[in-house]
Amino acid sequence: MSEKYDVIVVGAGNAGLVAAATTAKNGLKTLLLEKHNLPGGCATSFRRGRFEFEPSLHELASVGDKEHPDTVYKIFDNLGATVDWRYEHNTFRAIVKGCDGYDVTLQAGIDPFCDAMEAAVPGCRASVHRLFEYYPKVTDALAYITRMKGKPNGLVMITKHADFMKIASHSVEDVMKSLGIPEKARNIINTYWGYLGVPTDELNCMHFLNMLYSYVVHGAAMPYKRSHELSLSLAKVILDAGGEIRYNSEATEFLYDGNGAVCGVVANGETLFAKEVISNVIPHNVFNMSDPKNIPETDLKLANARTFGISVSTIYLGLDCSMEELGIHDYTVFVMTDANPRKQYDDRKNKSLYIVNCLNKVIPDSSPEGTCTMFFTMPTFGCDVPKDLKPEDYKKYKNRLAEEYIEDYEKLMGIDMRSHIEEISIATPVTFARYLGTPEGTIYGYALSGWDNILGRISCEKDEYTIKGLSFCGGHAFRGDGYSSAYVTGDTIGHRVVNSIKGGN
Amino acid sequence: MKQNLRSLSRFDFLKMIPTRKAKIAEAPARAIPSTDSYKPNELANALHPKCQHLIVSEITEREKDVKSYSLTPDMARGTEKLAYFSAGQYLSVALEMGSVKLTRPYSISSSPRESLSGRYELTVKRVDNGLASQYILDNWKVGTEVLASAPHGEFTYEPLRDARQIVGLAGGSGITPFVSLAKAIADGCEDANLTLIYGSMTEKEIIFRNELENLAAKCSRFKLVNVLCDEKVDGCEKGFITAELIRKYAPASGDYSIFVCGPQVMYDFVDKEIEKLGLRKKFIRHELFGEYRYPEKNDDYPKDAVGKKFKLTITICGEKKTVECDANVTLLNAIEHNGIAAPTNCRSGVCGWCHSRLVSGNVYVPKEVDGRRMADLQYGYVHPCSTFPLSDVEIDVPPFRL
Repeated sequence: MSEKYDVIVVGAGNAGLVAAATTAKNGLKTLLLEKHNLPGGCATSFRRGRFEFEPSLHELASVGDKEHPDTVYKIFDNLGATVDWRYEHNTFRAIVKGCDGYDVTLQAGIDPFCDAMEAAVPGCRASVHRLFEYYPKVTDALAYITRMKGKPNGLVMITKHADFMKIASHSVEDVMKSLGIPEKARNIINTYWGYLGVPTDELNCMHFLNMLYSYVVHGAAMPYKRSHELSLSLAKVILDAGGEIRYNSEATEFLYDGNGAVCGVVANGETLFAKEVISNVIPHNVFNMSDPKNIPETDLKLANARTFGISVSTIYLGLDCSMEELGIHDYTVFVMTDANPRKQYDDRKNKSLYIVNCLNKVIPDSSPEGTCTMFFTMPTFGCDVPKDLKPEDYKKYKNRLAEEYIEDYEKLMGIDMRSHIEEISIATPVTFARYLGTPEGTIYGYALSGWDNILGRISCEKDEYTIKGLSFCGGHAFRGDGYSSAYVTGDTIGHRVVNSIKGGN
Repeated sequence: MKQNLRSLSRFDFLKMIPTRKAKIAEAPARAIPSTDSYKPNELANALHPKCQHLIVSEITEREKDVKSYSLTPDMARGTEKLAYFSAGQYLSVALEMGSVKLTRPYSISSSPRESLSGRYELTVKRVDNGLASQYILDNWKVGTEVLASAPHGEFTYEPLRDARQIVGLAGGSGITPFVSLAKAIADGCEDANLTLIYGSMTEKEIIFRNELENLAAKCSRFKLVNVLCDEKVDGCEKGFITAELIRKYAPASGDYSIFVCGPQVMYDFVDKEIEKLGLRKKFIRHELFGEYRYPEKNDDYPKDAVGKKFKLTITICGEKKTVECDANVTLLNAIEHNGIAAPTNCRSGVCGWCHSRLVSGNVYVPKEVDGRRMADLQYGYVHPCSTFPLSDVEIDVPPFRL
């Protein structure tokens, strides 16, 4: 036995960092292993010339501020991690092209949001507001279910939480229709589906409502120094608490004891033992690093039953003109060819939906004076990458993709970006497969579609993840994807492991 | 009428978990497919292998103290195919010389197309005090095993960013990425035009002269201008690469991108000349700065550190070692010269591969080679390849990875 830790966390993504910070801060001897030379996974930054780009974060939900701290703010605050938050007060601008199209900008805050909706779709205000009114009912019910450790009393549910039962078991579209929200208003609000990767006729309404509310109530927050600031602030907590972080240290094998419990990992050829292992790595990869005889049938079937979540293609532009000179006024713009989320999803290879962000709107000095950055995001699945694409044609493929989207946006906005491109970087699911190592380059773990929704994941977690000594956190875990969900799973799993070890179980 | 959720059944809620359980129950209990079997992962592995095991298959003696090495995949050690690259990229080569372990980035001097048939070419010129170049020139033979990184680097033609007309400014061994680019233009891998202005001291020091002249003769998109500073020869310009000379060969429209690669003395001179052309920053691309030397010549360098020796304590995976580091030696060089392998690629401060945590001490990072991220400055991280000690220093370095 070379070394014994209380906890080994595999993967320093958002969830892994919070999990390791939580266990280290609670006095557990913690080792965090990361295969890259930087922490963060998606939450990082990269430099090209005089620009430092945000690679993945569009808007961090559930932050709030000192006076009104929301979940993410509290997680960082409790750990003692400091972040210089900057806020954006518009939620988004949605542009649907064509004669039936629209161009709507929505503000944060429930009332301003509803007012803007009313202006865009006269008569919809009351029904939209009603949607938000259900949010407290959802949180009450979830708190009750959590208190009951996932085994709520049926009678209490039916008498007290009937609305929750309806919202939690229907799609966004079903719930919105029943509330009488007109189609156009639904489409505008549901622009957000792109952040969850599942179109709203399939997306569970409870989950969507949580996300919608968290964006609308406080607006979105961004770290001043890109996501790298988030990750380094958490790394500092781990180190200050006596935890150890090893970069360039990819776990290559998960080790099991005679009773089928995980007891350690192999990284860089070194065998490392721990009482508990927390994996920020997706179960698919963990199972591929495990002796198959140790994978229980239930866990294996769950993995096989699931489909991978969405990935993205992205374009990062460093421009040698300011956003004002360019003629850009918004932080987040969604561009769509059809107002309907399902159509956007099905037709995604034809520029049916893309998101354009200009960070200078939120953080004016996020690039040198007289410059700005633009960040395009196109929802893409790993399986959308052409099967016959050869390595030698990949760069041309990327450039063609970028050129099409840049031209499309230039035409739409009547601006010239092309002649100002000082730096450019283009990523596809191949890039995310490279950096994250996930199957198909998924950034969202498992799709939250249909049956594999959040409530099912939370309710069934104990029955479905049966390997002792091993817990999972991250976008693939019980809370689904997105930075805030990842932080929540890291926090939950971190505390669970602290209790398990300190409780002597 | 106020609409509510009346039209929805609450009993659907009761079906949620049974539906989930049924879905999982009907799934097969088969083994999970290998991650490498998915298309994006397969492409990622092909383009960015963790390392490449190569073997020297042929050596071409070029001008004095210059050799080109053909490298082919070493299948016996697990490399079946070479990673494709863009003209202008480099390989970081791992070298072990007695107790010294280090890496060096060398631009690939062959066309990307040749990598498809299993060949990279690296061209090495002997540099005074150049530990690595001397070692390679004296030791690499046909059959030598070489451990190299995947192709890296940003000194590439980007059609969405650069003008299609490139004016290349090369000095000495800085010719290598341009040889690759010229070949890539000639064989159709790149859709650009290159006018290459190549500065050498004397005629006999011009590297790749025949190859480049032959390429220029058969490819109208590539033009070559040799510039000699130490002698006057017919067919070559005499002098230095000045703004005037660039203007003479660049398009009068001003619609071109300048790519520069050469030794630091060349940058010192040429950068001032380029400035006179009044081009926007986006049209000027620099190759890596290279190992930074003589930090004490900078105005912002604290003069009281000159000539001092400091203690450098390195922690890798919990193991500590203390070595000496002169004030004018980068932390990375001090680490490597003490037989410790550290992660590094560009050795010019920009790629961040050597990203390490400064535990204690004061350091100096010349601003030309400060490629750190903003949060790195706040949280005390450095790139040891471009960092000099100003006091005793302790750093936490990740283990070696190519």
